[in-house]
Amino acid sequence: MSDYDVIVVGAGVAGATSAYCLAKGGLSVLLLDRGDAAGAKNVTGGRLYAHSLERVMPGFAGRAPVERRVTRETISLMTADSSVTIDFQKPGGMSDPASASYTVLRAEFDAWLAGEAEKAGCDLVCPAHVDRLLKDNGRIAGVVAGDDTLTADAVVLADGINSLLARQEGLKPELSAHAVAVGCKEIIELPERVINDRFNLAEGEGAARLFAGAPSGGLVGGGFLYTNKTSLSLGLVVTVEGLARSRTRLPDMFEAFKKHPAVAPLIEGGALLEYSAHLVPEGGLKTIPDLVSDNILIVGDAANLCLNLGYTVRGMDFAIASGQMAAETLIEAKNNGGDYSKGVLDGYWRRMEDSFVLKDMKTYKNAPEFIERPGTYNVYPELMDGIFSDLFTITGEPAVLARKKIWPRLRKAGMGGLAMDLLKGGNAI
Amino acid sequence: MKRVIVCYKWVPDGADIRIDERTRTLAMDGVSWTLNDFDRNAIEAGVQIKAATGCDLIGVTAGVDTEASGKDALSRGLDSLYYLSDQAMADADSRTTSEVLAGMIGRLGGADLVICSEASDDEYAQQTGPRLAALLGYSSVTCVSALSPSGESLSASRKLEEGVEDVEIAGPAVVSVVPDINQPPFPSVKQILGAKKKPSQAVALAEVVGDMDRIRPQLRTDSLLAPEVSRKRVSLSAGGVGAADAVAGLLKALAAEGVL
Repeated sequence: MSDYDVIVVGAGVAGATSAYCLAKGGLSVLLLDRGDAAGAKNVTGGRLYAHSLERVMPGFAGRAPVERRVTRETISLMTADSSVTIDFQKPGGMSDPASASYTVLRAEFDAWLAGEAEKAGCDLVCPAHVDRLLKDNGRIAGVVAGDDTLTADAVVLADGINSLLARQEGLKPELSAHAVAVGCKEIIELPERVINDRFNLAEGEGAARLFAGAPSGGLVGGGFLYTNKTSLSLGLVVTVEGLARSRTRLPDMFEAFKKHPAVAPLIEGGALLEYSAHLVPEGGLKTIPDLVSDNILIVGDAANLCLNLGYTVRGMDFAIASGQMAAETLIEAKNNGGDYSKGVLDGYWRRMEDSFVLKDMKTYKNAPEFIERPGTYNVYPELMDGIFSDLFTITGEPAVLARKKIWPRLRKAGMGGLAMDLLKGGNAI
Repeated sequence: MKRVIVCYKWVPDGADIRIDERTRTLAMDGVSWTLNDFDRNAIEAGVQIKAATGCDLIGVTAGVDTEASGKDALSRGLDSLYYLSDQAMADADSRTTSEVLAGMIGRLGGADLVICSEASDDEYAQQTGPRLAALLGYSSVTCVSALSPSGESLSASRKLEEGVEDVEIAGPAVVSVVPDINQPPFPSVKQILGAKKKPSQAVALAEVVGDMDRIRPQLRTDSLLAPEVSRKRVSLSAGGVGAADAVAGLLKALAAEGVL
């Protein structure tokens, strides 16, 4: 007789959702996290697409500590001293719960979610550092945390991108520099009114801003800014491979990003509250490891479920859905006589295949390569800067038709490459 | 040694307190509460006495929202918890706290040994242990850096400025321990899980204090400000100043200060 039906390792959104669903399904669950509190060690850029948690807990946003509902999206192409921005605002259109997205701060949000799991009947222990999986006759039979041996019929690994446990178990290879990015982020405090005014937002509304080009010094990556209630989440993500070859360090890139003329006024007068850094899985479908083995399932970042399309960055909605589907699979296994062998748990993968999680990962399977095309980070920002500088600069010199100004710039940027990027990009996203 | 009581305090977490740089006041909004750091040593001292004697080890606390402290405190090895949670304790000074704790310990029927830490993170008055001893009529032993049972009595070492004093304690006593006494281990997963099953009992303020005048705080905090930062706050490289100019500026500024 095991101590628990299921032990979930990691109380991020994937693990906490899984534990919540398992407890609701009547299984005995232990949720472990290495942070002093659930979420204490977790990092996100800042935006949660609500649909997947909405399916688990309808109307959650009314109870959860979400910061602002995103109503404004902007994408900026930046050179060192210019910025061309596409700005999309549609407050009404983003308001229904299934299509809404919210800015969140994980320390608060994850603690709340883990609290919900606890209320549903799961045991939550943090800080608890799981050293390894417990084996009994070759089968996974629980976890070992310090001097404690805790047994369970199945284990859900929700221990994040580095998932040491999945690596120990041979389920996940070493991270490849090609498939991960590193992000750093500052939380900058500003009064609510100032944020509303600066970003042209009504009360409770939020902005999500992405920046490409100069912020990552031409490397694959980009900057982001999300508005919270009384703070901004400002960050920069760059692929590890790019950084390894670059002469500029990420913190220096980030400092330059903060001083960019398009960014500095947005954070002016703000007080630095928090600094964090984290790895981001960006390898797409090809890097998803085996998520199922006897008595074990992998969810969330540990499963490399993350999608960066340049204009949207998703991870938490996949994590939540994977946690839910892992739970459904385990509940079914328990109700069908408690067989947690791979053949039964493969139902998790099938559920994922039938859901948006793997469908979207498949749809955008070529996105990682497209995102990595160098043009995105240096050629196009320069091109846009040139075109718009021409359009908006009046010097008293005899005027030239706009198309005559634009053509040479397009030629300089390389028409062939541009056409290829448009074609490949169109296909990838 | 049949019954040992550890008194601990539930305090605002210093790591969460922010200082408003302009007014130097402390921003307490959003601050979480935690077990007073030094009291972890007090609980661990109790756990070690329990290991040596098999005594009953009871945690006693009085403050605001102290029920929330149970999970952490009990996971550290206490057998049970006796707590008082009352908004009236928000302004408690050492006198109030020790009166209330003495009342609680009285209701429990006293103890062979009461363990406190030397001070709390929030007030740092260093009074509760000795005051408690006086109110209970027990001996008071402060600055305890080692504690072990020897027969019916206790041996203790007191860490003093000029050396260490070894004492034997007979009869009931209140000892206050210094952080050097031990290194409290992190509670294990099983201890944390076990804490939920341990008994904890609440008691109302009116049940332990007959005369409310006796616990009215006598000490009023008029002002609490962070120390003034004496930095000059001059940025020499602001506004795109080059490294060479910034260095020249720095040398000039240091010379003006008389540092060079």
